[in-house]
Amino acid sequence: MSVNHFWTAFAFEPFMNALLIGLSMASIWLIAALGLAIVYGTMGVINMAHGEFVMLGAYTTYLLQSVFGLPFLLCVPCAFLIVAAIGAIIEKLLIRHLYKRPLDTLLATWGLSLVLVQGVRLLVGPEPKNVTSPAFLNASMQFWVFELSWFRVFIFGVTIAAFVVTWWLLQKTRVGLMVRAVTQNKEIAAAHGIDAGRVYTLTFAYGAGLAGLAGAMFGAIKNVFPDMGAGYIVEAFLVVVVGGVGSLAGSLVSALGLGEIYSVFAYFTNGTFAKFWLFLLVVIFLRFRPQGLFSEALARR
Amino acid sequence: MSNPYHNPKAQWAAYLVFFVVLACVPLMVENTFTVNLLARFLVLGMLALSVSLVWGYGGILSLGQGIAFGLAAYGMGMTMQMQAQDPESMPIPSFMLTNELTELPALWEPFWHAPTGIALALIVPTLFFAALGTIMFQARVAGVFVAIVTLAMLSAWYSMAFDMQPYTAGFNGISPPNPLQLGEYSIDPYSATAYWIALACLTVLTLGLKALLHSKFGLIIQAVREDPERARFLGYSVAAYQVSVFTLSGFVAAVAGVLWVMIVQYVSPTALEVSFSVTMVIWAAVGGRMSLIGAIIGAFLVNGMQSFLGDELLYGFLLVLGGLFIVIVRFLPNGLAGLLESVLGRFGKRAAPSDAGGPV
Repeated sequence: MSVNHFWTAFAFEPFMNALLIGLSMASIWLIAALGLAIVYGTMGVINMAHGEFVMLGAYTTYLLQSVFGLPFLLCVPCAFLIVAAIGAIIEKLLIRHLYKRPLDTLLATWGLSLVLVQGVRLLVGPEPKNVTSPAFLNASMQFWVFELSWFRVFIFGVTIAAFVVTWWLLQKTRVGLMVRAVTQNKEIAAAHGIDAGRVYTLTFAYGAGLAGLAGAMFGAIKNVFPDMGAGYIVEAFLVVVVGGVGSLAGSLVSALGLGEIYSVFAYFTNGTFAKFWLFLLVVIFLRFRPQGLFSEALARR
Repeated sequence: MSNPYHNPKAQWAAYLVFFVVLACVPLMVENTFTVNLLARFLVLGMLALSVSLVWGYGGILSLGQGIAFGLAAYGMGMTMQMQAQDPESMPIPSFMLTNELTELPALWEPFWHAPTGIALALIVPTLFFAALGTIMFQARVAGVFVAIVTLAMLSAWYSMAFDMQPYTAGFNGISPPNPLQLGEYSIDPYSATAYWIALACLTVLTLGLKALLHSKFGLIIQAVREDPERARFLGYSVAAYQVSVFTLSGFVAAVAGVLWVMIVQYVSPTALEVSFSVTMVIWAAVGGRMSLIGAIIGAFLVNGMQSFLGDELLYGFLLVLGGLFIVIVRFLPNGLAGLLESVLGRFGKRAAPSDAGGPV
């Protein structure tokens, strides 16, 4: 970075494109945060290994593509299923023993993330891998002043679809009703015959699966490497915290807000400053609204 | 007789023995490289001490102790770098020249004067912790939210240090050419003197904190940890106590940052890496976060194991570390110190009801 070219002046077309990039950032952060939001909202578990589930999704896609020759669009749902299965196993082995100690789940899942990163590094190797996406997604298109790649549009579409499906599952299905009941009061829900343990396993697996879905797509934007997950985790947490615990709509709005603020800051200055000021803004925001945008009660677990 | 683990006299005796033994180490070790390595462990132990204070006693899980460590380390790095510069012939560090800076940035000016530089390296991070703590705790931000906010701030500082290449030398970091000069003395990082300076700081801080935790302040801190609501209803200003303990832990980490650069003559953005700050928490958890000395020993053990295994096994080591951490959190939430407590408890079992037990 050069000191002399620090400040970028306003110009209409680049600025409109910056807004569009903000939208694209928002969709990336939202899909990374969605699983985290559901797991934290329902179970009160801060999953520090969420980024590593993203990484596992990317590696699943890579392996399915290079070893079994599956087409990319089929790899995406497979990544969801496989990472969800891994999530279910981890919940049964580790997470469920720590429900009464939220800070400890944070630490245990951090240990888990170390194990996953190093395990993948030892098994698959530290060098970056490539996931190839279909040709029609690699093209870019021109629309009025906007210029954007089809792949970004694809991510945006998948994010919206995942969001709608999640909302539908939670609000309109019987399982979703059980999840909401357990979220509100685990003991009373259990007294009504809901198997809270199974609901937790399902929720955690679903959250992990969403991370796997995100990873399948992120692997195609950038390379696939063992510690790629670390690059998404802080932003994903901030989306959840700003949005408000247990509020899907909050996550949506906060991802949009944070993505646009970041992108506009980054346009006028640069990416690093934008990140610094964005994080500082979030801290100040939490000073005045610790419960986040959409959450009614002060959520302190 | 009750559990000797809770006996204040036995505790003070254990602390004294511990530090006396540490002080004798350089007399027995010839190899200067080993002395330097052990001095590094002392500094890392100090970081675990700060984690034990803020997390074990304050109940505040901060994943941002690296902010104080890193900022102080940069302050010290700048101070030592400026000691090698000359106002006449070489007014600015060479990495700035390669980054097209023609004059010394204002940010660097105060570091011409070494005592001012070191003072800034200690004060700025402490003030930052005071400010961040005030923002968080007045808003009653608690639990995992604190962890996430500190994590976010750490990550923000990391990217600043990494990206502001003309000011911080970016990824390469600052490597001052000469050891620290204090007046007429030059402190060779490989000498026993450097080790003893680090040990003196660690001893003073540990014993000072232990005395503080035995005082009324320490008891209230622990009351706030156990139940903030109840402490508030008893009339204590919970936020004020949390801000104090958080700020104090920031100061301890800042001292560690200053000493670290004195000992390694190098500072880079890795000091501000997220994984480093979480690793500090692992040390404290392994040794026992509820015991100051336990946390320090945890740092010694984990780092000792790491350098014993060497770099070839590093990936394998991190795998083991992660697994160890899961096991500790799952089965030994109070770490090795907690294990010792229950073992000693067996011996003192015959005794009448155990006393309340002060901080360890």
